[in-house]
This record gives sequence, C-alpha cells and structure tokens, in this order.
Amino acid sequence: MTLLSRFERLALPCMEAAYNLAFWLVRSRPDAEDIVQEAYLRALRSFGTFRGEDMRPWLLAIVRNAAYRWLNHRRRTGNVVSLEEAYAGNVGEESGGGEIAADEPSAEARLIGAAERDYVVRALAELPPAFREVLVLRELEGFSYRDIAEVTGAPIGTVMSRLSRGRGELRKALTRLIEKDEPNAL
Amino acid sequence: MHCERARELLSPYLDGELSPDEQRSMAAHIEECDRCARLATEFRRIGRTIAEAAREPAPHTLAPRVRAALVQATAAEGEGALLLPARPGAVGWVRARPQMHQAAVLAAACVLTALATWWVVSASDQQRRLEQEVVSAHIRSLLQERQIEVASSDMHTVKPWFAGRVDFSPEVKDLTSEGFVLLGGRVDYIDGRRVGVLVYKRRQHTINVFVWPSARSESTPPRSMAQKGYNLMTWSHNGLTRWAITDLNAGELRQLQELM
Repeated sequence: MTLLSRFERLALPCMEAAYNLAFWLVRSRPDAEDIVQEAYLRALRSFGTFRGEDMRPWLLAIVRNAAYRWLNHRRRTGNVVSLEEAYAGNVGEESGGGEIAADEPSAEARLIGAAERDYVVRALAELPPAFREVLVLRELEGFSYRDIAEVTGAPIGTVMSRLSRGRGELRKALTRLIEKDEPNAL
Repeated sequence: MHCERARELLSPYLDGELSPDEQRSMAAHIEECDRCARLATEFRRIGRTIAEAAREPAPHTLAPRVRAALVQATAAEGEGALLLPARPGAVGWVRARPQMHQAAVLAAACVLTALATWWVVSASDQQRRLEQEVVSAHIRSLLQERQIEVASSDMHTVKPWFAGRVDFSPEVKDLTSEGFVLLGGRVDYIDGRRVGVLVYKRRQHTINVFVWPSARSESTPPRSMAQKGYNLMTWSHNGLTRWAITDLNAGELRQLQELM
C-alpha cells in the first residue's frame, strides 16, 4: 500500500471532526475548508512522525494549529479576536473555576423547544476559543481529557479546568442571550 | 462532600474522568443535593444540545477537494519528499492529476528495480575507498578550528556561497524545525575533486553532509554503514551524490536523510 493510500485510509474518516473543529475556531465555512485542506497536506508531510492507533487527536492538533495560524493572521491583518485576547481576556483562566452559582434562575428553566438549540449554538460561538475548542472536542467529538490534551497541547489539569470554566461561561452566556431576547421570560 | 468541592468535580464527573471513588462520592452527593443535581442536569442538557445542534456538516465537496490536493502533492513531490516541512501557500491546489501520480509510482518502481540490479552487480572497492575518505574528512573537520566557512542558518545565504567555489549547486535545506540546525557550509576535497559540505547540528552532534555530482545519472537508494564509531549514509539523487556522517545514532541520521 502506498503512503498516500495508508494516510487516506486513516485520515479521511476524521474529516468531519477536522472540519467541525476548524469551523468552530474560525467560524467561517470557506475558511474552515481551506484550513482542513492545509492541515491534511501538512499531516501527509509529517505522516512519518505519526505513531499510534487513533489518528484523530494527532490530526486535530494539526488542524487546530492551522486554525490558530489563520486566526492570528486575521488579527494581524486587522479584524476580530486574537489568541491572546481569547486566553487572557475578561474570562480569566484560573479565577474561580469551580464557582458556579446554581441559585440564579436556571437558564434551562427558561429554554423552550427549538429555540434552545439556537441559543446554545449562539452562546457557544460567543465563548473565547480556548473554551469553545474544549467544549467542541468533548461534547461534539466525545474526546477523553487525554485526547483533548493531545490536541490542544495543554496539560490534562488545564483541560479539566477549561471545560469546567467553559461550561460555566456557556451557561452564563445562555442566560444573557435569553434575557436580552426575552426580557419577559423571567 | 461539600457543594464547593462538588462544583469543582462536577465537570470531570459528567465526563467520567474521575477516579472510581470520586465518581461514587459525587453520585452520592448529587443524590442528596438538589442544587448540585440541578446544575448537573443543566450541564448534561447543554452538552446534549451541543452534540445535537452544533455539528456543522462538512460540505460534500470538501473530501474530493482535499483528496485531489493530496494526490497532487504526492505526484508533485514524490512520496519520499513528503517528509519535508509543508510549504506555505499549499492551500488552493485543487486540480487533481491522478495520472501523474500513477506515472510517478510506475517510474519509481522502474528506477528501484534498475537500482537493485545495479547495486548487486557493483558494490565496489570504490565505495569503500570513498567511505574512508569521508571518514577522514569528517575527523579532519572536527579537528579544525574552522569547520565552517560560511556560517549561516539561512539556506539562501549558504546556497549562493557555493557558487564559484564548486562547479555545481548543492541543494541546501533548512531543517531547523525538524531539529537539524543548519550551521553553514564549506568546501572540502574528496575523490580528487572539490566537494560541497553542509554542516548540521543536532543537539551536540555535528553532521557533515558531503555533496558532489554523481558519476552516474541514476539515483541510488540510501545505504548505511558504520566506521570508527561514526554512522554514515550515502545516497544519490538529482545527479548529486551525498555522504552524511556523524556520531549521532543511525536512526536520527536516517531521519535527516529522509528529510533531505
């Protein structure tokens, strides 16, 4: 079997996951497509360094790098969120990862039917990429913490606190969105 | 368990990432604490909603487009060359040329067969003599104060430097990102002619790569050997013969060869 067909056999089944991660990081369909293509070419070139059974974390790490390169490029050329802002912005990484007030009126209680999906997707899109990416990998792809750590290059403890914090932030964003749209829902 | 602690463990609990003991005590806490139970339900529900609603299906044109780019890259660069670092601007190759790929594979097969035959027939004294000379030149270079005549990690400085010093243009690659730092180049004298030498460093190990035009036009596959504690590899490609020598282990030397 040629190198290319070996690569394709392992890598092509990961394309949905690759595209989703790229899309959720850059939030643009055409750019996500370009990023997936670039990442696959890079992955083919470093296929020699791939060891292991499961290609998804290895490949998605390459996709993620390509997406962040793209985000940084977009920041340099003038618009939208930077990686630094994403990590260091108003949502502090370390501060109070465990504090989640369950006493506020729950967002869930105010979600009705189909609107819920719409709100969740919008709230996810509003999160900083550092939280968005771990939530996408966990909830959409069902990755273990170890796999997420491999993709993001962060220690497992950091993955855990980002997920914890990310879920809290997502819930807050949901509440905010719903209050904005339906001030009378309370 | 206190709620405060439970809130910290809630996320890994829902993800099944706690130890069996912690997993059990979290379950027990949620049984008896309404507020934590409510939050757990809410997080589960948000997670499920992400799984159901946030998936962005890849356009059906994406897979064929990526495959075409992969085939084209393979055909353009050859499978051996695919171990090189990615070139910027690779995005946007969309035209497929599968017939090129087939032709390349066929050509590679022919070359390999021809080479195998040639190799068996002519493993020779000449090779052994060259091997000696390369080892001597390597040791000589390590003894010299100036191992390098043009010191630069920039391939665009090193390559032009050879112009006028040797009668060919050696291929110079910057492999820093792969852990082989290009220190520079020099000219040496092997087999009765001036040859180019590229000097790489990996950790504390110096690697000399001697380059000169091949006597024959065929490429030869890499061959490894060891002498006096040094590992050597030789191969020729694109009309140039290369000898790499180092005190680095054979595996990493092999890696350099593949990168080149």
